[in-house]
Amino acid sequence: MTARAQVWERASWPGPDGDAAAGPRKLPGFVVSSFSPLVAEVADRVLRGHYGDPSAAAGQGARTAVVLVSRLGDVATDRAVAAAVDAGRPVQPLLFFQSVPNSVLGHVTTQWQLHGPVVCFSPAGDPEEAALDYADLLFADDEADRALLVLVELASGQGAHGTATALLVGPGDRAAEGVHP
Amino acid sequence: MTAPRPTAERAAVVVTGMSVTTAFGRGTDRLRQALAAGQPAFTEVTRFDVGRRRAKRAAHLPGAPVLLDELGDVLTQAIGQSGLDAAAVARTPLLCARHSDPSWPRERQEDGHAAATGSALAARAGLRDAPRTYTNACVAASTALADAAALIASGREERVAVAAGYLVDEDVFALFDAGRALADDGALRSFSAGRRGLLLGDGMAAVILESATAAERRGAEPLARLLGWGRAGDAHHVCQPHPEGLGMARALAAALARADRAPEEVDYLNAHGTGTPYNDSAEAAAVHLAFGAHAPKLPVSSTKSLTGHTLEASGLVEFAVSVLVLQEGLLPVNAGYTGQDPACRLDLVTQAPRRLQPSTVVSLNAAFGGANTALVLGAA
Repeated sequence: MTARAQVWERASWPGPDGDAAAGPRKLPGFVVSSFSPLVAEVADRVLRGHYGDPSAAAGQGARTAVVLVSRLGDVATDRAVAAAVDAGRPVQPLLFFQSVPNSVLGHVTTQWQLHGPVVCFSPAGDPEEAALDYADLLFADDEADRALLVLVELASGQGAHGTATALLVGPGDRAAEGVHP
Repeated sequence: MTAPRPTAERAAVVVTGMSVTTAFGRGTDRLRQALAAGQPAFTEVTRFDVGRRRAKRAAHLPGAPVLLDELGDVLTQAIGQSGLDAAAVARTPLLCARHSDPSWPRERQEDGHAAATGSALAARAGLRDAPRTYTNACVAASTALADAAALIASGREERVAVAAGYLVDEDVFALFDAGRALADDGALRSFSAGRRGLLLGDGMAAVILESATAAERRGAEPLARLLGWGRAGDAHHVCQPHPEGLGMARALAAALARADRAPEEVDYLNAHGTGTPYNDSAEAAAVHLAFGAHAPKLPVSSTKSLTGHTLEASGLVEFAVSVLVLQEGLLPVNAGYTGQDPACRLDLVTQAPRRLQPSTVVSLNAAFGGANTALVLGAA
């Protein structure tokens, strides 16, 4: 069994500069909900924090897993669909693909060329513990040699966006030897 | 990409219990009979009003089934078939997969989230816990299966239960209809010329995966072996597969390497085959990339053309189909086929099921976000 995954980089939204009120940056093609923009925002922050820009990460993502952990999922999109159905209104076609949580991961993996497993789950326990446990399993199973873990929960109140954290992690044994980039 | 180590170096994984419910009926025998008959389960939707929708058909059970009850039943049956006693069940974790429930956005219950389903199901079945409930769409259940196998192969668990379910519902029907993903001609025609999209289907399934050593020690009879699993991302698009099937091909190569099987040793491929133009041509390209010279000789079918697309459950329903193929020696038909699409040149099983006694079969799945999984199964 490998040692606990080592956290190489961490980023959160809202960040320390008080960006909560403005909300995450708009993500083209995604509407109604802050879920996918939050995922894209923290993923971008943590990857830029580690690699710089996508060109600097080129060739390093072949075995990077991307794991989205959210207990409640994209409830804002679900509510928008339910409201349209109940009112007899047409559902916005854009909601079709954004209703699937891995869609936004397609945006992140394309931009950063991450080719490892793409996984989304709802954890029974603490989300960060669950995400780190899961990274351990992928490393032990030789499915990946690094993992981008994204934790996101939407806020329940009107006008609030929610919170998100992204971690870039590697296997504990290798990181302890200083092998990580 | 470095290939994963062959399973031979690690604990072997076997299937010791299985149950599945689809629109064909409740229990594995109903699916077994339906695969032999080769007639799709699609009917006019009666579960909710489809008057405003382009598409009108799906494959669903009669009445108003409840997902947790249906999942509880298949899980109980799978545990029963495995022959595990209550103490062993209490040491076994559950990995679950499901779509969001239509009641959650409407009723805002405290337990209105995916993980609550896994936990409730584990409690109902007497299982230890349900740490993760997978939500990554069409690869949710196949991801759970791969993770269950990884837990056993690495020695972290002796056995793992996997359950997944989806019941056709109005919200998803409306979403997929709005996205023009549903076939408005009422048939799911995987890999066929003139295919017009997918149709939804009910699917609930559960399996018990176990280390071969543990199964042998307690005298359990394996139904099949899970030899290899592989996953890869396309890194290509939000909702379209890589047109050359690069991610799917990488998942296939990784699964075959882990299974220590050459492409020519695979006797049958249960394809993702959603019946959408994008998926099926990309998948055919992936098959040629991964199987090379063996690709034209590899029998392929998508049983979504019979059961409908069961979304988060599809990986487990199709895993069950693959186990039945190994048991029965009958390759299921790729229904709805009207003629060859030059972009999908495969040895498709059309017209009728094909008699063949396979020793190795592969189940392939793909999802939005470029998520791809492949599972390699061997005869018991």
